[in-house]
Amino acid sequence: MSYPSPLQYHPDSHDSIPSTYTYRPSYSSSSSSRSAETLARDHEQLLISHWPPSHRSSGSLSPNRLLDKPTSARPIGNSLKHLRPADFDQIKTLGTGTFARVWLTRWTHPHDERSAHQVYALKILHKVDVIRLKQVEHVRNERNVLAAVAGHPFITTLVASFQDEESLYMLLDYCPGGEVFSYLRRARRFNEPTSRFYAAEIVLILEYLHEKEGVAYRDLKPENILIDADGHLKLVDFGFAKTVGNRETYTLCGTPEYLAPEVIRNTGHGCAVDWWAFGILIYEFLVGQPPFWDQNPMKIYEQIIEGNIRYPSAMSPDARDLIAKLCTVDTSKRLGNIRGRAAAVKAHPWFRGVDWDAVFHRKMQGPIVPQLQGPADTRHFDEYEPEPEKQEVYTRELREKYEEAFKDF
Amino acid sequence: MSLPPEYFHEINTLNREFIEASPDDILQFCADYFQRRLASQRHEFLVANPQSRKSGMVDPNIRGMQALQEDEAVASPTASSFPSNPFDTTMNASNPRDAGNGTTADGHQFNFGGFSASVGAPPSGGGDASNFPNNYNLNRRISVSAESLDPASTFSSNWVPPFYPKTKEQQTRLTNAVAQNFLFAHLDEEQSSQVLGALQEKRIPAKGVKVIEQGAEGDNFYVVESGTFDVFVHPSGKIQPGIEGLGNNVGTVGAGGSFGELALMYNAPRAASVVSAESSTLWALDRVTFRRILMDSAFQRRRMYEKFLEEVPLFVTLTPYERSKIADALESKKYPPGTTIIREGDPGDAFYIVEQGEAEVFKRGADKPINRIEKGGYFGELALLDDQPRAASVISKSEVKVATMGKDAFQRLLGPVESIMRRNDPRRGQAGMEEVDPLSKE
Repeated sequence: MSYPSPLQYHPDSHDSIPSTYTYRPSYSSSSSSRSAETLARDHEQLLISHWPPSHRSSGSLSPNRLLDKPTSARPIGNSLKHLRPADFDQIKTLGTGTFARVWLTRWTHPHDERSAHQVYALKILHKVDVIRLKQVEHVRNERNVLAAVAGHPFITTLVASFQDEESLYMLLDYCPGGEVFSYLRRARRFNEPTSRFYAAEIVLILEYLHEKEGVAYRDLKPENILIDADGHLKLVDFGFAKTVGNRETYTLCGTPEYLAPEVIRNTGHGCAVDWWAFGILIYEFLVGQPPFWDQNPMKIYEQIIEGNIRYPSAMSPDARDLIAKLCTVDTSKRLGNIRGRAAAVKAHPWFRGVDWDAVFHRKMQGPIVPQLQGPADTRHFDEYEPEPEKQEVYTRELREKYEEAFKDF
Repeated sequence: MSLPPEYFHEINTLNREFIEASPDDILQFCADYFQRRLASQRHEFLVANPQSRKSGMVDPNIRGMQALQEDEAVASPTASSFPSNPFDTTMNASNPRDAGNGTTADGHQFNFGGFSASVGAPPSGGGDASNFPNNYNLNRRISVSAESLDPASTFSSNWVPPFYPKTKEQQTRLTNAVAQNFLFAHLDEEQSSQVLGALQEKRIPAKGVKVIEQGAEGDNFYVVESGTFDVFVHPSGKIQPGIEGLGNNVGTVGAGGSFGELALMYNAPRAASVVSAESSTLWALDRVTFRRILMDSAFQRRRMYEKFLEEVPLFVTLTPYERSKIADALESKKYPPGTTIIREGDPGDAFYIVEQGEAEVFKRGADKPINRIEKGGYFGELALLDDQPRAASVISKSEVKVATMGKDAFQRLLGPVESIMRRNDPRRGQAGMEEVDPLSKE
């Protein structure tokens, strides 16, 4: 056996990891039977299979160290050129979207004891579907934003991305607790302490995305929030996330019940849409369903634009006040978007007593800690229909027109 | 994997009831059964939690709210549009908006969600179901997205919206037809005329033409100019082959009616099929054109505001982030000629930037205007700084369009102006303060 030495990479010294793999010919001399390509793949495997560092439990990455580094200096979130889908065994579907499917996977050929037990969530997007559904720009945004935020304690970690002829792949950490959505529907609604705990972690996510990265997430909802092995949250699905900075953006995207009024009216929107959705989310946590609903989506949008929310009498005045301030149609009055930004949200009376530093460092005990038998347990994920056999062809014509757009994936 | 005993209990009970009833419509029967079970289980839950039943301070006339209290939040809390009888398929046809419009229904009825099939369920036994009007879709919600709209590409290609000429009568009819639609309600005059101009005539030469097909992709919104259309909904959510493939006729649309408005938001499968009942004429508007018109005017206005704001000395220390926040919050207002926009001596509470037209500055004692303010000019910004009364009056000479912002809005967004001005900027000192007010120029 002659793998590149794993000693190249020490779990504790992220700093030494090159941002992109460069193949070193010195290995090939010791491995006559292996092609350079295979070796390069092995090296990429080794590189990422040391993530996360073994002395830390699956989810609890130290937030500060990694995020302070420039993206290029992190061992994760890179576009790898040699990894192939065949390197992974697909175990089970974890979720499906309009043009993507997420699989639980493990290494097809683990190279050591440690990697034999590693599992990942692998998000697969067929290029032809991405093009047909006009999501090329969104998919590029997704990869880039995930790479930029890789290592945040409450955001799913993009371990690596790669591609082959037909598809794009995002290798993500597996979050075995499943969706907050499933717990919420089962419980019908969350009490205030539970809602507050999850809301607090989400405030930190939004604060980071908006104020450090200039990113609007644009699809907040219980379906996109997972619970990790320790009971903390991970935000997933960055398909609509976009670096907006100080510029407004116009493409309508999101989930009907959670769309902000300015998105519906197409007057230009920014990070403020996430604070609106955050208000809807807290409402749905506490009540069991979002405030605006109708069978007819157009009627939902009409209600959203009017912005009148009714609250059950059992809801605490603080919760009501917070939701009302977040779900304010006028963005110049919306909490989170006004003076103080996320800090003003954190200072709201509903969050009184929350130790924000402890939240960030994952010192708080989550209200739901999933019961798990091993890291590959999928009991918290629902069953999904198998993937349809019929696949559209990524024709040469399409390839010539679009392949350039996927080049950095 | 072993199934939970509760599951077997449910299935066995269903089996028993099924054998007893031996219904024709199997799926409907099962759906009704589970609906009933759900309702009674919620009822049990409520009985077990008596404190949740006590009445609160909420007006009992608000039906949705009442339901929310009693059912522990299973009803839509904004249930104003909630059908009093969930089995009444005609609810949309009886929409009060359609009163006076004859048999015409507006576009709402064609946008049932994918779960509309249950709307047509016959009443199930017992009154439980109507006491628990829970039809909130508890499934995972699908994200939606329109085509990516990039203002930069619009401007580099010098895009202008398509324009199809219309007679005065046609314009009036179209204006009335879309007046009730909230997507059109917020448009300003220019947007409105662009949108109406972009509506394209589409002749339907004969009876039986399918204009939209249930389940198919939708890109266009339609207004009926003349003729009649039948609306069909197939319970499967999709048009089917064969004679019965259209499903049930749920209504008709005549002149002045419209349908397919969801297509102006994003591409969603059509919720109904619409078929011409005679030779007819439609006006069509596609999503990309509609959203581009809206985006263009919003984008241009924002850039204009940002450019204006850069010119205001008081705001020179603002960061780009802060400037974009203000541009976002500026409100447009129009004044006819001869309007006093601010009056000398009044307390100042807002500042103004002139977008269009011309205004003049007057001071007491002077019989002629002491200054003129044109596009890009600004006034009243010192109101943000202190509570001094206005130093002069500003009166519109022509029709004047301004962008304005109140002191309260400014402080809400960015905090006190003083602290922003006090930022270290070598270009400004305390002495510069007086210079920034054009009203003080003589």
